[in-house]
Amino acid sequence: MRKLTIVAALIYSMITWAQQTPALAQKGAFTIMNATAHIGDGSVIENSIIVVEDGKITTIADATTVKMQPKGRVIKAEGQHVYPGIIAMNATLGLVEVDAVKASDDEREIGTYNPHVRSVIAYNAESRVVESMRPNGVLMAQIVPRGGRISGKSSVVQLDAWNWEDASLLTDEGVHINWPSSFRRTGSWYNPGPIEPSKDYEKQVRELTDFVNNAKAYNATDSKTGLNLKYAALNDAINGKQTVYFHVDGEKGIRDVLNFINKNSIQRPVLVGAREADKVAKTLVAMKVPVLAGRTHSLPSAEDEDFDLPYKFPKMLVDKGVMVALENSGDMERHQTRNFPFLAGTVAGYGMDMEEALKLITLNPAMILGIDDQYGSLEEGKMATLFISKGNALEMMGNVLTHAFIDGREISLDSHQTELYERYMEKYGLEVKR
Amino acid sequence: MVDHEDVNIYRDLAGGVTSSQLLHGSANPIGGRSAIIKLKWGYPADEMIYDNSPQFIKFALGENVKQSRYQYGVRFPQTRMGVEQVFIDFFSRARDYKDSKGKPDFRYDEEMEVLLDILESKRFVTCHSYVQSEINMLMKVAEDFGFRINTFTHILEGYKVADKMAEHGVGGSTFSDWWAYKYEVNDAIPYNGAIMHEAGVTVAFNSDDAEMSRRLNQEAAKAMKYGAVSEEEAWKFVTLNPAKLLRIDDRTGSIKKGKDADLVLWNAHPMSVTARPQITMIDGIVFFDVERDARFRESVKKERQQLVNEMLKAKNKGLKTQPAKKNEKTLYECDTLHW
Repeated sequence: MRKLTIVAALIYSMITWAQQTPALAQKGAFTIMNATAHIGDGSVIENSIIVVEDGKITTIADATTVKMQPKGRVIKAEGQHVYPGIIAMNATLGLVEVDAVKASDDEREIGTYNPHVRSVIAYNAESRVVESMRPNGVLMAQIVPRGGRISGKSSVVQLDAWNWEDASLLTDEGVHINWPSSFRRTGSWYNPGPIEPSKDYEKQVRELTDFVNNAKAYNATDSKTGLNLKYAALNDAINGKQTVYFHVDGEKGIRDVLNFINKNSIQRPVLVGAREADKVAKTLVAMKVPVLAGRTHSLPSAEDEDFDLPYKFPKMLVDKGVMVALENSGDMERHQTRNFPFLAGTVAGYGMDMEEALKLITLNPAMILGIDDQYGSLEEGKMATLFISKGNALEMMGNVLTHAFIDGREISLDSHQTELYERYMEKYGLEVKR
Repeated sequence: MVDHEDVNIYRDLAGGVTSSQLLHGSANPIGGRSAIIKLKWGYPADEMIYDNSPQFIKFALGENVKQSRYQYGVRFPQTRMGVEQVFIDFFSRARDYKDSKGKPDFRYDEEMEVLLDILESKRFVTCHSYVQSEINMLMKVAEDFGFRINTFTHILEGYKVADKMAEHGVGGSTFSDWWAYKYEVNDAIPYNGAIMHEAGVTVAFNSDDAEMSRRLNQEAAKAMKYGAVSEEEAWKFVTLNPAKLLRIDDRTGSIKKGKDADLVLWNAHPMSVTARPQITMIDGIVFFDVERDARFRESVKKERQQLVNEMLKAKNKGLKTQPAKKNEKTLYECDTLHW
């Protein structure tokens, strides 16, 4: 009978495909010794000592100058590298399992104005795509709904959780507006015409402005006749309690967004994608508007653009003083979210210092989200959301994780994918190399 | 069909790519003939194609050919079962066609001629594929008809039948880490390349579009991350191995006396995420040079400025104006037409 139970349990575990069991709360201190610590703020400690207690970093120091005894379990990491957990901005993890299977897709709600729609409640903490992030060091993500003019609200999650409540670090932190496109493509897919100024642009901007004005009026009235969920949902964004993310490309669109921000006194605006934002950099700096720079691994949009424009775009903005983090929306975006470290690495290939590039996926996104008091860099007092890699984690060749922690909890680096790897290496009598 | 001025050829050169196999979409089990070209940007299309080019044809399996996402699918096949029968049917007819040669009722048939080339191993099969059942099936069909499949592309479940693939002698040209976009890539794992390689299959990493094809050096590096393939072997995934699979390894794929001078000078370890080609040459002719590119940029800038000035002048003179238009290229990939 017992044998049967074990077999049944084995079969069960094979067919459920649930993700790895989330790690339990940290018990007892641990110390990471002698690793190169990449702080996330641009600095490095070549030979570090990092003490973690109750989920927090209680000591991070230079082990060559500060003599102190390690506390608790010791992780010897000489020759290895410690990084703050990577934060994937503007992601859709957990909202779709398989792109082509409609039943598994919760990414975009129908309709044009959906500020009341919340991504977090659809976030599948047990998605197999989510677990495949962790072995690459991507430990936190902003989950953003797509579609429409206002797609809804995003939340920030950590990627080792039992359910969405457990996962959520910041619930409903921002509203996402897809700014109207000032150009539109003519022709058909098989015979594309030129891209012309959109005739509907002014009208669409006016519609959006009206919507926001109506929401303001609605929320300013004490005697509301009937509930309007959509207008009510904009209240926090209008009052500056939530961030407003403007998904926009092109100089004209960006200038219009900046006007819109001024006119409506949007207190916490962020631009997403923001192609050509370099042409408006001065204003962005003056107005303190951060940018989530569009996918690094993409093609230039016009034939006569520099072939490396998407690679160097984040640096062009940083050089002008803009606060920049990376994002990766586009085709095949979910599974490729695990390539965030390599997006930053590619930026480093185009003239940015490697540690500065790291900031684009750690401290900068944490600052944009307003969670930099707890996350984004390796500092005393911050949460121990970090990982250890055998080599440079921004290099494909070096990104090989040995340990990862979220709030001090040592999380599994296994996944459905590593299990299959091991199963088939065993089948062929080959040595597993992980 | 090749647009020899396509800017994406230039962008690929800037990413250190010198040769490509061009494959059309994957809507049908038996597709059309493919071309292997050198990326001689600006040369006439005829001069880009390898002279004495080995002959290839594209096959496809799985969700695309069975019209999984086509609501009103009516043509045969709609299942993997049907796909097998399509191959058996066509190859049987090709065999009969061969037998009818020289007989009074013989009628020349271009389609059958191409299939006959396959049966006689004069034309090689590159097959779009995903799951293990269909991969196994096609190898068996080929074996029954006395030929072998040259290359499975995409082949994200190749690792599940890597031993059978090695025995059949077929190569695997796969994605480094793609998955989760279709139901048939549920079990796709980034260790696929490493497992197939260790099991004795000739492995290449393919792109699917102009974006990934220009940073294949980075894709190769992922074989080191997933499955700890050695540096030298991982580099072969984008050089010598694809050359072997395309049967052009006597011409390119490695630096060897007598081979074509298709060379790239990198500013760093070529598999480093920071590596950038400085010079890309094909047949000893420089097609990309980072310094020349800088001059291109200057001249494009100047030209644009000049055009803007002319237009402003014209406008100020009161000449007729028209709204600004942009010209962005539409990119087609193997899924554009799919269903």
